[in-house]
Amino acid sequence: MKDKRCEPVRRELEELMLNDNFSAATGEHLRTCFECREFQRQQTKLRQIVGSLGTVNAPADFDFRLRARLVADAEAPSFRFWTITVKGLATAAVLVVFGVGAVMVWQRVDDPTPAVAVAQPPQVTAPEAGAGEDPNRQVHWINDSLMNPAVADNRTATPPRKPKPSRPANTPKRTVSTVDFSSERATVISNTPPAVDNATVFPIEASLQSVKVSLDDGRGNARTISFPTVSFGSQRVLTTTANQFNSKGEW
Amino acid sequence: MNTLTTIDELAFAPSLPQETLEDTTSDHALLEATRSGDQDAFAELVSRYRNQITSYIYRMTSDYDGAVDLAQETFVRVYRARDRYQRSYAFSTYIYRIATNLAISELRKRKRRKLVSLTGFFQSTDGGEPKELNPPDGRPLQDSELVDQERRDAVQRAIGTLPEKYRAPLILRDVDGRSYDEIAAILETSEGTVKSRISRARGFLREKMRAYL
Repeated sequence: MKDKRCEPVRRELEELMLNDNFSAATGEHLRTCFECREFQRQQTKLRQIVGSLGTVNAPADFDFRLRARLVADAEAPSFRFWTITVKGLATAAVLVVFGVGAVMVWQRVDDPTPAVAVAQPPQVTAPEAGAGEDPNRQVHWINDSLMNPAVADNRTATPPRKPKPSRPANTPKRTVSTVDFSSERATVISNTPPAVDNATVFPIEASLQSVKVSLDDGRGNARTISFPTVSFGSQRVLTTTANQFNSKGEW
Repeated sequence: MNTLTTIDELAFAPSLPQETLEDTTSDHALLEATRSGDQDAFAELVSRYRNQITSYIYRMTSDYDGAVDLAQETFVRVYRARDRYQRSYAFSTYIYRIATNLAISELRKRKRRKLVSLTGFFQSTDGGEPKELNPPDGRPLQDSELVDQERRDAVQRAIGTLPEKYRAPLILRDVDGRSYDEIAAILETSEGTVKSRISRARGFLREKMRAYL
């Protein structure tokens, strides 16, 4: 068991140099305390071992190398100047690149016009009287007309503005670029001229426009599915002079 | 005639020439001469301290080539800062402080680089105490010199495992034999801290070197 006097004795033993003599009180305590005696023995041995490490000599060419180093160090300032200059220029270049990039990003974010042209929905206007060309042409708003025919009638006259679906705040704004050609007449392309001069060529009635279905997924995202109209080409009206027994192609 | 014939006369001789002689060879005087362009004075300073500094840094880093490089760097810094040198401290304190800072900086660099050392293979992976690389062989050896060499190697390895804040004061005290106040001045800390650290360092070493004690 350690005595109260052990601590100051050990502190004294720690602080003494290896060959110093300890005080009489410490000597007295060491005679009676086995633990402190063992501590002193180990401490002395340890310090002797550590002290035996001695000095490691510098190599013989130490002075020569040091002199060369000092000479190199004396010549170093110009090198250091250029190093600092190059580093400074590199840093400035990097800063300029980052600055230009930041300005470009800022301008792009700040620009209200979107980069992608968004096609406007087709303007549905009331068919003019005497337009004749496609009197039955109309856009079928299936989702509305099927549910409420009255709405469909109104749409043919003046299409009311669709209510803007409420979009959740965290939903990203999506732009849909579509071009709807269903309300325009398709061009008739024919490689063969009409066999009979007075043959009237007119397109097959294509009043049934492409079927469009607008769906709302409940989160404000509208999806439009369009079924294109199938065309079967054109038809000709046979004239009275036409003979069904004529050669192929001439009716 | 004013010649010295006996020891007593020598003792009572005018002290001025003696002081002048000491002044011209003191570290401060040599550095003053270096400042004024005397290269021989600096060479004298180097020859006085090169072994001490190399040895001290070697004990700190356990790497002889690195220690030589750092010792040279120490002298380069002394030379570079010769105009800013102040005589408030002993020159030995000044140069040891530079060497200590360089050695500690090197130890920290190594820690960052996580250099793979041979002793590292014998360290436990769970962060515990490193194991002894060469456990002592109980068989008697023929040559006592070999025994001493093995013991010195073991001590050097054990010192190398000490935390740097314990390593420097222990080496300065037990290897170089410096006083507490001088160590405190070199490490820029109080004497109490120095004593405490040396005591802790010896405790660590006692545990590691138990087989040799």
